[in-house]
Order: sequence, then C-alpha cells, then structure tokens
Amino acid sequence: MSANNMSDPRRQNKILRYKPPSTESNPTLEDPTPDYMNLLGMIFSMCGLMLKLKWCAWIAVYCSFISFANSRSSEDTKQMMSSFMLSISAVVMSYLQNPQPMSPPW
Amino acid sequence: MRSANLLLIPALLLLLALPVSRGRYNDDFDDGEDLADFDDNDFAEFEDMNDDPAAEAETAPPPRVSPSSQPEEDEDEDEATVELEDGQDGFDDSETQVHGLVPAHLQNSWESYYMEILMVTGLLAYIMNYIIGKNKNSRLAQAWFNSHRELLESNFALVGDDGTSKEAVSTGKLNQENEHIYNLWCSGRVCCEGMLIQLKFLKRQDLLNVLARMMRPACDQVQIKVTLNDEDMDTFVFAVGTKKAMARLQKEMQDLSEFCGDKPKSGAKYGIPDALTILSEMGEVTDGVMDNKMVHYITNHADKIESIHFSDQFSGPKVMQEEGQPLKLPETKKTLLFTFNVPGMGNTSPRDMDALLPLMNMVIYSIDKVKKLRLNREGKQKADRNRARVEENFLKQTHAQRQEAAQTRREEKKRAEKERIMNEEDPERQRRLEEAAQRREQKKIEKKQMKMKQIKVKAM
Repeated sequence: MSANNMSDPRRQNKILRYKPPSTESNPTLEDPTPDYMNLLGMIFSMCGLMLKLKWCAWIAVYCSFISFANSRSSEDTKQMMSSFMLSISAVVMSYLQNPQPMSPPW
Repeated sequence: MRSANLLLIPALLLLLALPVSRGRYNDDFDDGEDLADFDDNDFAEFEDMNDDPAAEAETAPPPRVSPSSQPEEDEDEDEATVELEDGQDGFDDSETQVHGLVPAHLQNSWESYYMEILMVTGLLAYIMNYIIGKNKNSRLAQAWFNSHRELLESNFALVGDDGTSKEAVSTGKLNQENEHIYNLWCSGRVCCEGMLIQLKFLKRQDLLNVLARMMRPACDQVQIKVTLNDEDMDTFVFAVGTKKAMARLQKEMQDLSEFCGDKPKSGAKYGIPDALTILSEMGEVTDGVMDNKMVHYITNHADKIESIHFSDQFSGPKVMQEEGQPLKLPETKKTLLFTFNVPGMGNTSPRDMDALLPLMNMVIYSIDKVKKLRLNREGKQKADRNRARVEENFLKQTHAQRQEAAQTRREEKKRAEKERIMNEEDPERQRRLEEAAQRREQKKIEKKQMKMKQIKVKAM
C-alpha cells in the first residue's frame, strides 16, 4: 500500500474520454436566461415595429444584449445575430417613421 | 471582435438616424423666397404651407391652418408654439418665422433627445461591463489553472479534454462553456474513472447580474465531481457541509433523501467547526470518513467548503416526472462531489485562487481514502438492507404502473401475432399458425389454473 503512495498514481490505460453531460437528462440545471431574453427581445421588437413604440424597440435592444451576454458558447451565433439585428431594425424604423424624441413616461 | 462590432452599431445608428431626418427639414426651411412674403401680413406664412404639400408629408405634420383659426392651431401644436408679434424676434429668423410652430426635435437638437442619449449611454455601459467582466472571469480561470496545473498533471494522465479530438491527448487547457463557466476533465488515475472540475464564476459579464449581486452577495464556486469504478468504493452515503447546503441537498438529492433520513448532525462532535453539519447513512461511515487528516483539512478550510458528498448511489437531483413515478430506478454511479467557495465573496482576485490548492489536495486524498475505506460486516449488512429497502419501496410504489405497462406489452404482442396470421397469404399456413396460437393460449390458461389449485392447497 505504501508503495502506491510513492509511485506514480497516473495510469495511461485508465483514461476515459470526456463526455459532455446531456442536458436533456437535467433540464433543471440549465440556465434559461438566454432563451427567455431572446424571446422577450423578439416580442418587444415586434411590438416596437408594429405599434411604433420607441421604448419597446429600445427594450428589445437591451434584451438581445442580455441574451448575448448570458448565452452558452455552444449556442448558434446566427440566432443571436438575428435577434440583435431585429431589435436594431425596430429602433431604426421607429425613428425613421417618427423622428421626434422619446418622451419619458413621467 | 464581437465587442468592436457591438460598439460600432449604436454609434452608426445615432449618426445615421438623426442628421438624415434633420437634413430634410433644413432643406425645406431654407427657402429664401418664402421670407419675402412674411413682412406683409400675419397669415402669409400659412399660405406658404398650403403651397408645399410634399414637404409636409415627410415631416411630423405641422398643423394645417386656415387664416381664421389661429387659436385652433395653438391647441394642435404640442411641441412648442412661437407666438409671433409684430416687431418681436425672440428666435432665429430663418427657422421660426416660417411656420411659427417648431417641433421640439428641431428646436434644441441634441438636448431634446436626452432619453435616447441615456439609452445609448446605458448600452455602452453594458458593453463596457461585458468586456471587463469577461476578462476578469477569464483571468481568474487562468490563475486557478496555473496554480493547480502541477498537482493535476502529477496525478492524472489526461488533463484537459473536450471530447472532440480523435486521440486522448491532454489539451492542457480549460474548456470554456460560457463567459462564466469553465470545465476541466481529468482522467487516467488509479482509484477513479475521472474527475470533472467546473469553475462556476459569477456572471460578471452581465450588468443586470452585477446589480443584482449588490443586493444579494454571492461567491464564485468550484465544483468537482469524481466518478469511480465499482471496485473503488464501498457502499455508503455521506455528506458534510454548511447547514444551508445540507438542508438543501437533503431535500433535493435522490440518494441523500432516501439513505440519510435523519436530520443533519452538528460537526462539533467530530472535531470540525459547528457551522458544518454531517449527513450520514450510519455512524460507522462518519467515523471512517472523518479521520484525523480529513478533520484537519476541513477545520482549516471550513470557510471555503460548501458541501462534500460521497455516495455509491448517486443519481443526481430528484426528477419530477409528469406521469408520476418513473418506471425504473434511476441509474446510479459511485461519485464524490465537492463544492468549494472561492474566498472573496465576489471581489476575488487571481491571487485568491492559490487558496484553493489545499482543497484540491484534500480531493486527491479523499479519492485514495475512499478506495481503502471498507465497512465491517455489520455495517455492510446494514447498508445492504438499506438498499434493498429502498428498492422495495420503489417497486411497491410503481407496482400499479408496472402492471399496466406489462398488460399493454402483452396486448401488443397478441396484436402483432394476429396481424402476422392475417398477413399470411397461404391459407394452409394461416390455419396452422392459428392453431398454434390457440394451443399456446390453452396452455397458459391451464398453467394458471394449476397455480390457483396449488395456492388453495397450500392455504389449506
């Protein structure tokens, strides 16, 4: 037993490859923030575009930024980019149609 | 790269949206010939508006006025009204005399857009925080790895693997899962299958999270999960950690709730600080695990230990299923789990990572220890009884469901048989198959009757 402590504990033949834990088995462990923020961002940018509400469009931009910051690296960047572009276009369209500054709610 | 793009886009937006729209207005107003008409009567300006419908359509419509409706026009104008009186020139001639009604977004250009400027400033602040937070997390991860690299490389043949490369070669670096989560897989050692280390940092890259943490402080965590082979560990379940963590784990974890039903005991009895409590399957296990060296480790680093969980029946947290209980016992794996808190409570510096090195030594020591720890005969019997009890309970609870499942399977089989017979083209073969099926049914019924008779005889 003491010989083991002196000798090298490494064993080349006992190597096991890394298997990323499947997220379907533990859905509770996954952080839902980026998905929610993505969805919220899309909803707000649609509202901003359709109803011509500037503040909706700005909130959409914020949502897509937050979603981007919280996203996993394995996630598709195309989705991020598309929600981002959508929110930017909502802001731009609101201002093109109605260039007056946004009035504060108070 | 990404951050540069993000910086560019809001700036572009601001540059494009405002001057372009303003430019159009300027063109309309700088119309020299209109000025000449205004001196004559008060209403000449309104006549000019009617002559130029194209310009109006593009702008926020300046109100259409008829000569007799000046008070009306005052009500329509919601931005700013410039009342022109003879001889008064409070504002710039070329712009204000044209209509007498100047919307705010032309009046004081940048100042009226203060909400927009606020928004863009907020976005810039978010981006700055993202970059700073991301870099800090990355530096912390690297500092942790640098301080632990030697220890890991001397203990494991494979340090760092992302699972994608063809050959099992150490990558020698952390896998970045997120901007705040880093993984490291180590394998190739006696006494264990492998060790997964997760550095779960705070979400420093998300400004919302940073603000939330000002209300509720939290700390970075290092989670270590060691998976063992069957021969590496005897059958026991044990956990030690902070009171809060133990209460939570006892409720959430499948194995702790089933095997360690008693309330957590204070650690003071075993020489560790009172703030830590112990959950154990039986006293012998606690005595076995809490030897001098372990107590020494835990006492010296009690502030950094969130929870330590050794289990041969580990299957993760309890799974809530919609249709009631799952039909099979969940898969279990012999596992050692460690959760450590990084000192600093959020305000960590890369130097604090060195403080976690002794804890990694403890992990290695635990792996070797668990291999050597064997229950005596009594303990083993008790442990086996516990496991049998848990399994029985589970089977009882799912009995009804399993019966149903078995019934459906039998019906499926019968239906498949019948279909096969139907699909048989040759009538001879069809008849023979039918007869065979009938004989089987008959046999089954006879068997059942025999069984019933036997039970009756026994009962008598």
